[in-house]
Amino acid sequence: MGKSFFGKCLLLVLAALLVVGTLSGVAVAEEKVIKIGTLFPLTGSVALAGQRCRAAVETAAEVINNAHPELKVPLAEKAGLLDGYKIVLIHADHQGKPDVAKSEAERLFDQEKVWTIIGCYNSACTKPASFVAELKQKVFMCGCSSSGALTERDFKYFFRMAPTDKTESLEFVEFIEYVNEKKNAGVKTVGLIYENTEFGKHAAEEGRMAAEAGGFKVVADVAFNPGATNLNSEVQTLKAANPDAVFGACLGGDYTLWVRTMKQMDWLPKVALNYCTGYQDPIITGQLGDDANYFMGGTGYAPEFAELMPAVAAVEEIYKAKTDPSVPFDSDSIQEAVALFIVAQAIEKSGSLDPTVVAETLYANEWESPLSMGGKVAFSPGGQNVKAMSMLTQLQGGEYKRIYPLDLADTEPVIPMVPWKDR
Amino acid sequence: MATFLQVAFDGLLNGLLYALVAAGLSLIWGVMDVINFAHGEFLMVAMYLSYWLGFIWKVDPLVSSVAGGAFVFILGALTYRLVISRTIGKSAMSALLATFGLSMLLKNVCLNRFSPNFRILQHTLLGGKTFNLAGIIIPLPQLVIGLVALALLYLIYLLVKKTRLGWAIQATAMDKEAAELMGINTERIYLLVFGLGGACVGIAGGLLPSYLAVHPEVGGLFSLIAFVCVAMGGFGSIPGALLASLLIGLVEAFAGFYIAPVFKYVAVFGLYLVVVMVRPRGLFGW
Repeated sequence: MGKSFFGKCLLLVLAALLVVGTLSGVAVAEEKVIKIGTLFPLTGSVALAGQRCRAAVETAAEVINNAHPELKVPLAEKAGLLDGYKIVLIHADHQGKPDVAKSEAERLFDQEKVWTIIGCYNSACTKPASFVAELKQKVFMCGCSSSGALTERDFKYFFRMAPTDKTESLEFVEFIEYVNEKKNAGVKTVGLIYENTEFGKHAAEEGRMAAEAGGFKVVADVAFNPGATNLNSEVQTLKAANPDAVFGACLGGDYTLWVRTMKQMDWLPKVALNYCTGYQDPIITGQLGDDANYFMGGTGYAPEFAELMPAVAAVEEIYKAKTDPSVPFDSDSIQEAVALFIVAQAIEKSGSLDPTVVAETLYANEWESPLSMGGKVAFSPGGQNVKAMSMLTQLQGGEYKRIYPLDLADTEPVIPMVPWKDR
Repeated sequence: MATFLQVAFDGLLNGLLYALVAAGLSLIWGVMDVINFAHGEFLMVAMYLSYWLGFIWKVDPLVSSVAGGAFVFILGALTYRLVISRTIGKSAMSALLATFGLSMLLKNVCLNRFSPNFRILQHTLLGGKTFNLAGIIIPLPQLVIGLVALALLYLIYLLVKKTRLGWAIQATAMDKEAAELMGINTERIYLLVFGLGGACVGIAGGLLPSYLAVHPEVGGLFSLIAFVCVAMGGFGSIPGALLASLLIGLVEAFAGFYIAPVFKYVAVFGLYLVVVMVRPRGLFGW
């Protein structure tokens, strides 16, 4: 007894652990999984958008992992990737904070051993997180972060699906020129209101450059801290400058506060054009009710686009089951689903899980993407999707009406916006 | 001139709102030397209560504010009984960390139960209503909150200065042991103070959905500004908290309009630093 007995017991336990560990290792190896990290703001002021982005990636993973022959999207017909690999998602929350995004990206790669990360919604968070991926030579798939600077870094492993603020700014100016010419809108001056973040500042910079290049004078440049208790000074500054058109980059709750403060101060520009913001969020605009009407913005997807993107509806049903049956895809969340579909196609086509090979494959091909407005995805050096399209919509009667480009429009824009007192 | 007056009026109304949020914090801090980190979450809870009462039973925030005050009074009293009372007599850090934990708990419970959705109450009695006074647009929801703040602060001031209960509160704040020797039940005073502090922020929270979206993060900046108001005004001084709040509201509005909106909080916290450096006890601190 004594020491020798306990020594034997210890040896037995260790041997058992070794056997169990080995077997479980074999089991994991046999499982053939590709771990994919998602990194979104699941808490914080834009958590609602982040949670919808996560649900969109889950939707894409479900379509890829299981056979869905009824869906008209790539990889839906068979179950899994390559010869039986399943996608396993590992979710992380960056809370809308760039430092957290960086450390979570490191954790996902180093501890969770994810193969790629999809994220991060906030451009300010995508920037450091994708930097981590680039250093580690891992693929980073960005759905909807719109700061143009992200794809101007010559990164080799970074890919973005959505159009940039630059594309949207040029479209805004083109639209204003059109309404000036055809509808005698008389827009001569532009104001900018934006959150003081990577996204907001870059959007404003692009907006300013596009407006000035179009011959419009920028008369107000209003940055604000996101999550402010009020936006009185901000709207007062806009009202004092009284620009004919406003380019807005206000996310989430700040968008509602901006709209409501403008109503309170009884002021509206002739045209209010929004980047990827609260304008695109059907829940926020729904809750604003009539106050949300006549605002405009770039929109990558809305249920009203069904005739242009017929494959979305069936996939959207899976998405709704994961979120809320009354909440459809929005312009941002759908791009995150696209990100997973595209990288999965690249893995399948390259037949490899080597990040460098997959990244090269991503660059070398044009991808089918029925969930994207253009129907195709292709990347230029730096990782921007050159096929990304956005359409200008205007909320009329609570619905996103297509107003520009003209060949895709279904409604005439209401310009100038209907004053508050006449609604 | 009209713009100047408009900015000043906006600043004063915001200042009064901050005063209403800060009053409870000032009371708790002044009497108990406890920094209630969950103050912003108390505000958020009252906002949710007001929102759901409005959404489900169409109760206007004006009425819900009473329910908000009562509910957060109870929440405050419970917080004292279950959390704070266990930290009394221990390091100040333990109460601070305990309320920090409580704030995380409340925020995450709301996040879990109500999702991060921004919830906007529509068709309220005051929502979106304004009137024009000599060219100055006065928003009715903020005006009512301002008037409620003034009335409530006056009542608290009277309570503390003119009633036996108030004297007991002051005595407890000055010297707990001496107050006990004089027959004051300090335990009950603490309970009441925490409840009253909660009631003030509960009333503010009940009124806010008239114009502000409700979400789990809404209390964060409000509580930060309330801390600044209380520290600037002087710990435990209700007139000090009012004056500091008005100053902060005005500085925020003028800096936001005349310098740049993005600098408004820089100016607020800059002013706070200056006051604390020049007069560490705050404007009216005892």
